[in-house]
Amino acid sequence: MTARPPGPQDAEPLPGPAAHAEPAPVPAAGRRPDASMTLLTEVDRSPLDPGYALVAHRRATGEKGRRSPARAAVLLVTAAVLGIGVTAAAQTLLQPAASAQQARDVLESSIVERNDAVAALQQDVEELSAQIAALQSRLVGDADGPLRAEVEAGAVQAGQLPVSGPGLVVRLSDAPAAVVDDPEDPARVQDLDLQVVVNGLWAAGAEAIAINDQRIGPTTAIRSAGSAVLVDLVPLTNPYRVEVVGNAPALQTALTQGDVGELLGALRATYGIGVDVSAQDSVSLPGAGQATLRYAEVPDGALPEPLVSPTARATTDPGTLREQSVSPSPPAVAASTPDAPGAGADDEGSGS
Amino acid sequence: MIAVFGLVVGVVAGLVLQPTVPAELQPYLPIAVVAALDAIFGGVRAMLDGIFDDRVFLTSFLSNVIVAGLIVFLGDQLGVGSQLSTAVVVVLGIRIFSNAAAIRRHLFKA
Repeated sequence: MTARPPGPQDAEPLPGPAAHAEPAPVPAAGRRPDASMTLLTEVDRSPLDPGYALVAHRRATGEKGRRSPARAAVLLVTAAVLGIGVTAAAQTLLQPAASAQQARDVLESSIVERNDAVAALQQDVEELSAQIAALQSRLVGDADGPLRAEVEAGAVQAGQLPVSGPGLVVRLSDAPAAVVDDPEDPARVQDLDLQVVVNGLWAAGAEAIAINDQRIGPTTAIRSAGSAVLVDLVPLTNPYRVEVVGNAPALQTALTQGDVGELLGALRATYGIGVDVSAQDSVSLPGAGQATLRYAEVPDGALPEPLVSPTARATTDPGTLREQSVSPSPPAVAASTPDAPGAGADDEGSGS
Repeated sequence: MIAVFGLVVGVVAGLVLQPTVPAELQPYLPIAVVAALDAIFGGVRAMLDGIFDDRVFLTSFLSNVIVAGLIVFLGDQLGVGSQLSTAVVVVLGIRIFSNAAAIRRHLFKA
């Protein structure tokens, strides 16, 4: 900005006597080269309090006499108070850092510990379900063709096996104006909305449904906890992608008519929730993995005797297994874990 | 010298008594400590220059701490507390550095 163009202007009248001949030592007149940074110069050049020089000068000229004892006492007390204050300040600054750090370390180590435990348990789960799957496929492999097909169809229906095929993708997203922290905000997609959509899709003949890659099985619950929608106890976040395998035109019709259509229309119009339905040539849904077997039964006494025991072995806990093998086995074997009396059966063995 | 003696007595007393600082003053402690450091470095330099004076030392100490705290307080009220703290730390930091350099020249002649 202030860069001067070189040349004639320099020779032109610069204000002040410093312009000509010798570089004038007069500090008052003319701009110093570092005039724009006097503040920094001031700070850098004279860091010592000018008071020291002033007092020294006075003392040298004899203006200042000896100090009285009262004055000395005041100085002493002031200095002591300042010393205490600074020490207290320094110690206070040191302390909370230490205790906060300690608490942090404890939390950190417990987080790592729990994470390790979760990872170990997860691995256990994977190993066990692989074992279960292997045992089951061995069992089914022994059986004849129709039974195997039936089991596989059952597994697809129960949401255990991955599925792909033509279908729909329904995308529900919170309104832009939604308050993120408020779980009750109607502008956010609620568990009820997803329940209605999913139930409507089932009613319209959907073969398999997944929300955000969480497969919906017969016993899957869609609930909300705080601000998250839980599907099978897994918290999902906005936007919600409901993927469906089935007859796309029929499903689409179901989404525009009846209760579901009304609800979606209301969501869109009243609350500004994004609803986007698109037909897809191919939708791939993941499997939900192994379900807990709570009830099993040999169909019509058709199985040969040796197969009864392995069924129980593969699918029940050891306690029940022992009781099972001791009791004289009738043609139909029922095995149920005690924690689920009357719970919905994850039926993969109960073909009829 | 009486100021230095008093300061040492105060520091020892502080270490022994472990006084607690009221919670309202806690935000100003870091700046206050930096200001105190500045005053101490200035005092040492003045001592080496041979112009040390108890009264000037204590006055500059006290006013440094109070003004620094006041600036931070004002900054907090105006919503620019952290920026003003930075400004205070920069200015005092430069002063501490140049005083330390002067002390070094005195002690090591280099």
